[in-house]
Formats: sequence, structure tokens, C-alpha cells
Amino acid sequence: MSFPKSPSALSRSIAAAAFLITTLVGCGSSDDSPSAQTRITLTGSSTVAPLASEIARRFEERHPDVRVEVQTGGSSRGIADARSGAATLGMISRDLAPDEQDLTAFTIARDGIGLIIHADNPVEELSRSQIASIFRGEISNWSEVGGREAEITVVNKAEGRATLEVFKQYFELTSPEIRADVVIGHNEQGVKTVAGNPNALGYVSIGVAESDIQQGIPIRLLRIDGMEANIETVADGSFPISRPLNLVAHGTVDGPAAELVEFSLSEEVHDLIEAQRFVPSRR
Amino acid sequence: MAEPRSHTQARDFWTATVLWLGAGSVLALLAWILGDLLLQGVGRLSWGFLTEPPSDAGRSGGVAPMIISTLWILAICLATAVPLGLAAALFLTELASRRTGRWVRHSLDALAAVPSIVFGLFGNALFCHVLGLGYSILSGGLTLACMVLPLVVRTTEAGLSNVAQEIRQGAAALALSRVTTLRTLVLPAAAPALLVGLVLGIGRALAETAALIFTSGYVDRFPESIHDSGRSLSIHIYDLSMNVPAGNDTAYATALVLVVLLIASQQLATWGIHRWIQPERSVR
Repeated sequence: MSFPKSPSALSRSIAAAAFLITTLVGCGSSDDSPSAQTRITLTGSSTVAPLASEIARRFEERHPDVRVEVQTGGSSRGIADARSGAATLGMISRDLAPDEQDLTAFTIARDGIGLIIHADNPVEELSRSQIASIFRGEISNWSEVGGREAEITVVNKAEGRATLEVFKQYFELTSPEIRADVVIGHNEQGVKTVAGNPNALGYVSIGVAESDIQQGIPIRLLRIDGMEANIETVADGSFPISRPLNLVAHGTVDGPAAELVEFSLSEEVHDLIEAQRFVPSRR
Repeated sequence: MAEPRSHTQARDFWTATVLWLGAGSVLALLAWILGDLLLQGVGRLSWGFLTEPPSDAGRSGGVAPMIISTLWILAICLATAVPLGLAAALFLTELASRRTGRWVRHSLDALAAVPSIVFGLFGNALFCHVLGLGYSILSGGLTLACMVLPLVVRTTEAGLSNVAQEIRQGAAALALSRVTTLRTLVLPAAAPALLVGLVLGIGRALAETAALIFTSGYVDRFPESIHDSGRSLSIHIYDLSMNVPAGNDTAYATALVLVVLLIASQQLATWGIHRWIQPERSVR
């Protein structure tokens, strides 16, 4: 009943598989030797990751002996990996929480969220409570907030978008109470929806809105409680609906990692930050 | 007299209509997806798109490193899952007692139903951390192998157990050893099922995102070895459509590349299996 000892194609392939697996698993431990390169690992927020990858690419060009690995997984993972040492630096797209003060945050950029209306809409400004009421469906006509006699088309973001979280947090809204007429995914879609509807009210990343306004798309950023929404006010932190994009470190950062942090904070990456539709942070 | 006949005709007509509609909507869906991909993605496609690394977070440049990483991940996945799967399927049909067989089959079915993100977290814990492979193509390929394994085992096993018992008995009557019987008679006869398992496995592996984001990782450089982290095409598509403003065009073009790669590797698998099996057939 048993297989004979003589090698057959079958047993050979099984042996080969076993060999392959043991070799593959075995070489993991001896991985440190092949290159003398320094490796910096960044993990965390998927919002920061594309920007961090671009910064890393430019950093590697100038430091050929350094490899920067960017991995995603969300802000919480960035915090956890920075603490455990699994990552040299964490990436988070929010402020450090009170129980995370053991970490140091370096704000490389900010992402501001502005309310947009069609360029033909005469409304210049809304208050925080007016906006919350509109999104709750308590105010449904522009005439109630000093505009024309027209129904407001409320444009909301799809569930799971970070922009939605920041928006809800600032206006103290919960998802079930938001009465949206249109639900959109990414920023461009929001801009297109509002540009095509003179009575729409939506919110998008301010960087995206400004670059689209410059290209002549008929939208306008609303003032909120007297506060102008533009790249300037986001950059100096005075615009309230914004979030910082941070690199976080546990303990002191030194060597190439410190150079990478310094590089990320420098003007040399401002074009990269703007290309990702974020706003460079002013220190 | 005429009435039952027209009744039958009407029933035939409606049955045929429903079947046509069913088949038609499946085809329409496929055509829609492919048409949408072509329409939105073809503008970004060029030779450079296939040969250059990405720049500007993927909005410009190409997807060459992702193609390389994807092929490496797939190769590791198949090199592990196919021999292991074949061995397990042979064990189930040739050696296992009824009781053991049932246990193994139940475990495999449970494993097949596990969501891929769970495999991702498992792979991250086992391969990246416990075995110290880190975020690497190797970790990703092995994680995918775990995921694809139940699929390969179950389809192969179904094929093996469908081989007529008379063939085995005939071979035994001719005093052929079990290994010879397997190699020259049973395996060639089960080859179509093996192929189905392989093709399904390739499909699942290439399409996978959740299991790879925590194992093979996000790095969009050309991998220098299988110990490097490498971003797969599927993760690139996910990242472009979810995290990169104005990344949609490239996402579509990348999806187009992925679909072509999928079809090509499945064709290659079909060709490979036939080539492997055909010479053996002549023994019969």
C-alpha cells in the first residue's frame, strides 16, 4: 500500500516543494547581510502614504545608501508601529491624542476641508450652526440663509472617507442624521457636482478646490463664521476644518531618519505636497 | 388538440427567453466592465506605461515595478500552492481514511470561506513577524498560497476522485505500482480539474488586495529580490482610486493591464498543463 522509495516525478516534486519552503523560510533570518544599506520604515495613514512615497523617492535620489519603505495600514497602525519599533516613523492624518503624548509629531502638511458652492450663488458666508442645520435637513432653502429662493442640494461624502470624518467632527454631525441629496466619492466628483448645479452645497479638500478654481471651474469657497477658506489660512492653522498630516516618532530620531524628517519639513518637498493637493505646513 | 401544443410552445418560448436573458446579462456585464475599462483606461496606456516606474504618486509614469512585483508574488504563490495542493489532494484520494479525509475536507472548506483580510493579518503575523520575513514579496506570495490552497486542493481532489475506479483496478491487475498508475493514468485523467484549480487560483491571487497590503506591502520601487517589499497591481489600483486625487485614469489603465495579465497567465497555465500531461497520455 505504501509508495515505493524510488524517486518518481511525483515524490520529486513533493520533495522539491518541501525544499523550496524550508529554504525560503530559512533565508528570512539571514536577511540582514546582503546589503549594508540603511533602511527606514514608515507605516500608517493611507492619506499620507502616497505623499510619503513621493518624498521617499526624492530622498533616496539624494541618499543612495538609504532605503525608505512606506507601508500603509491607517493612522492607528502608524502609532502602534512607531511605539513597538516595527516602524522608524509612523504616519498619521490627525493630531496626536492625549494618550499618545509619548510620541513626537512632525507636521509635514495640512489638509483643509472647505465648503463649496456654485460661482453664481450669491451667498458669501455661512455660520457653523447654519451648515450643520443644512446638512441635518432643518434648513432646505437658500433664502433661509440669505440666498435666492431655491432648494439646497446637499452634497455629502461617501462613508469611510477621511474628509467625511473631519467634517462630521467639526460640525458635530453623525452619519444617520445627515440628509444628503447627492453622495460622492472623491474630491473631483464633488467639484464637478457643485460646478454643474447652481444650488448645490458640498465640501472638498481646499487644495483641490483652489487648483480647480484657478482652472476656471465655476465654484467658490465659502467663508465660515468670518473665516476665509484658502490655502493661506490652512497653512497657518487658523482655518478650523483641517487636519495635520504628521510623521510621528517614539523617542529621539537620529541618523538618516532625522535627515528624512528634516527633509520632509523643508521647502524642497513643497511641490510634492502641492501635487498631492495638500498644503505645506508653516512651522 | 391545438391547445396543449400551443401551450407547450409558449412554455418552450418563455424558458428559452429566460435562459437567453440569463446568458445575455452575464455577457453584457462582462462587456460593460471591459468596455468601461477600455474606454477610461486606454488613453493612459502607452509603451512607457508598461516599462517605466510611477511618478507623482502614480498619476504619471508607469506601472513597471508593479508588474514585476505581481509576477513574482504570483510565481511564489503558485510554486508553493500547486505542489502542496496536489500532494494534499493525492493524500485525500489515495491515502486518507474516511475519517481523516472528512476532517481535512471540512478544514479546507472552512479555510476557503475565510475572508482575505484575515489571511492578510495572519500572513502579517506569521510571515512578516514570527518568521521575520518582513514586508516582502515572499511574505505576500506565501500568504496568497495559504489563501489559494483550499481552492487548488478541492478542485484537484474532485478531479482525482472522478477518475473511474476501473482504471485503478485495471492498473492493479496489470501489477503496475501505485505511483506509476498515478503518474501515467490518474493524473492525466484529472488534469482538466487540476487546470481549473490552477486557473481559479491565479485569478484569486492576481485580484487580491486585502491579503497583500499587510504582507507584500506598498513600496512602488523595482524589487531587487523577493525579500523586498513590492506593490502589486491590485494594490496600486486600490491606492490610486482611494487615496490619490486625480488618480482615476491611471487606476483604469492599471486595471486594464491587470486583466490582460490575468488572461495571459491563465492561457500560459492551460498551455503548461497540456504540455505536461500530453506526452504522458501516449502511454495509455
